[in-house]
Amino acid sequence: MGRLLQRSQSLGSLLLIVPALILLVGFLLLPVLLIGLYSVYSTDPVTGLMRADFTTANYVRLITSPVYRRVLIRSLEIAATSTPIGLLLAYPVGYTIGFLVPRRRQTLLLLLVIVPFWTSYIVRTYGWIGFLQTGGFLDSIATLLLGRNVELGLLYTRVAVIIGFVHVYLPLLILPIYASTRAIDPHLLEASSDLGAPPWRTFIRVTLPLTMPGVVAGTTLFFIAVFGSFVTPQLLGGSSDVMIGNLIADQFGEAFNWPFGAALAIVITLVVLLGLLVFFRFARLEQLYG
Amino acid sequence: MSGPVDVELRAVTKRFGDVVAVDRVSLVVPQGTFLTLLGPSGCGKTTTLRMIGGFEHPDSGEILIRGIPMGRTPPYRRPTSMVFQNYALFPHLTVAENIGYGLKERRMDRSTIDRRVREMLQLVALEGFENRYPRQLSGGQQQRVALARSLVIEPAVLLLDEPLGALDLKLRQQMQFELKRIQTEIGITFIYVTHDQEEAVTMSDYIAVMNRGRIEQLGTPEELYERPRTRFVADFLGTANVLPARVESADSHTAALRILGQRLTVSVSDLSPGQDVWVVLRPHWLQLTEPHDECALWSGQVRAKVYKGSTIHYRIAVDDTTDLQVETPNTAASPVYCSGDRVGIRVEARHIHVVTE
Repeated sequence: MGRLLQRSQSLGSLLLIVPALILLVGFLLLPVLLIGLYSVYSTDPVTGLMRADFTTANYVRLITSPVYRRVLIRSLEIAATSTPIGLLLAYPVGYTIGFLVPRRRQTLLLLLVIVPFWTSYIVRTYGWIGFLQTGGFLDSIATLLLGRNVELGLLYTRVAVIIGFVHVYLPLLILPIYASTRAIDPHLLEASSDLGAPPWRTFIRVTLPLTMPGVVAGTTLFFIAVFGSFVTPQLLGGSSDVMIGNLIADQFGEAFNWPFGAALAIVITLVVLLGLLVFFRFARLEQLYG
Repeated sequence: MSGPVDVELRAVTKRFGDVVAVDRVSLVVPQGTFLTLLGPSGCGKTTTLRMIGGFEHPDSGEILIRGIPMGRTPPYRRPTSMVFQNYALFPHLTVAENIGYGLKERRMDRSTIDRRVREMLQLVALEGFENRYPRQLSGGQQQRVALARSLVIEPAVLLLDEPLGALDLKLRQQMQFELKRIQTEIGITFIYVTHDQEEAVTMSDYIAVMNRGRIEQLGTPEELYERPRTRFVADFLGTANVLPARVESADSHTAALRILGQRLTVSVSDLSPGQDVWVVLRPHWLQLTEPHDECALWSGQVRAKVYKGSTIHYRIAVDDTTDLQVETPNTAASPVYCSGDRVGIRVEARHIHVVTE
């Protein structure tokens, strides 16, 4: 009887994950498999159309040409620079909303964090052009403050790309950090103080370790989002800021070489998966989540 | 209460918005006592405790610990430590790391910390649990870790906020004796908050009964039980029959009272004729006899009978609106009455306790 009940329960929980399963298979697994399939196809040299055969040429080209390796490393570099900057900005925001603001006002502040997310990515990125371009808003402010003509020349540089990424994806960091601060029992902070820890020690010994799940989740989301982006470097970056996302977009667009674009996509997916595996092992998530 | 004082409250008041949570509370806690703040939820007992611990600060009045005014001193600079209701163990630290938390803040070296943690684990009978995480422990074990974590930093005063609330009855009773044993063994002051009167009576040297932000009465469990100062205290501590009475005549030592239609002279001072008062009668102060007993003060009808092993509890209807609770010893010699029986109720005048508020 007990076993029967257990079985029907596990059957019930299986039913619950069916919608998610359909979604994942239909919109993630199948497309990825399709991309994997395309990556071993070749293109007709005359018509440029995709041919359903089997070739490793795309991968060979990718690995042997130093250009793609350089772009891949550059993408990792840009993601690795943007992430800590974003984290430094997002942590105080998530912490403040979660801990220092009364609960009933938190919703409004969260809304303010999320609302820009509903605005088109491209519009927000274009906004930065007006800010950063020569003679733009930042230059005007600097000129006004310093009393002489200043040209920062930020647009079409690495700095502009990083500013753009941090701005666009910041909510991805703020929200998980906020959520993890909400999960902390305020009595833990009182207990720490009670046992002799001043506020900054409590932060180091209790708050920070207990918000690590949020930091890890946010960092992961942010890093992956930056790594695969192609709009920001295209609009704000120079020719030396081309990222792997741009290359893929080009192959599927102007170059019209889907098989090679697919091979690029597969490679960066593998790089991201490998990175996640190492990161999660290092972060010991199961211990953090308890 | 005499000797060195650990904690003193002087007219401490705390408001939350319009609500006065603690209202001019004054209290002196001598060193080494087990004091319980007892009262219903919302009576201000937890707020009082949190102010002693430094988690809240009084709006007016003063708290002194070992003679030093605390002002707005934060918890981490007070010689107090708190055992929280939900234990508040650090989920990311092991049992040993939890207990050693305060020692590490005090910059002790590793070997000293290890030794002290081991001693504490022994005191609370949790040897071998060093490397477990709080979530791997039962409620009772977590409770003992919280206790050890607070005791290891050798506070002058240990504050306990309903620490046994989440445990089942059997474990709770066991932990009551355990807590009292530990308190006696290390001899520091315990201030304990609970709404459970049985818990308070079992462990405390002194009990402060709180109601609506004020201390109604402070005394030993015996004093509170035998001579409650107010109806509230009589009701809250143990079972009591509280009956309205009128003073018919009074002199300096005695007064004649009319209680449920009967006139009775009791030795009590400071009453004036015509005054409305209440009498407190504990159920075991009453005796049941035959209905026509000349010495019986009242007569009534048994409405309900509950067998309790060593005693029998009766509910006796004296008139249409008043029931009296009576507890009689269950011995071979004492008669047993049944529901519906007419009985007489005797009470000795010396047992009649008068309260005026």
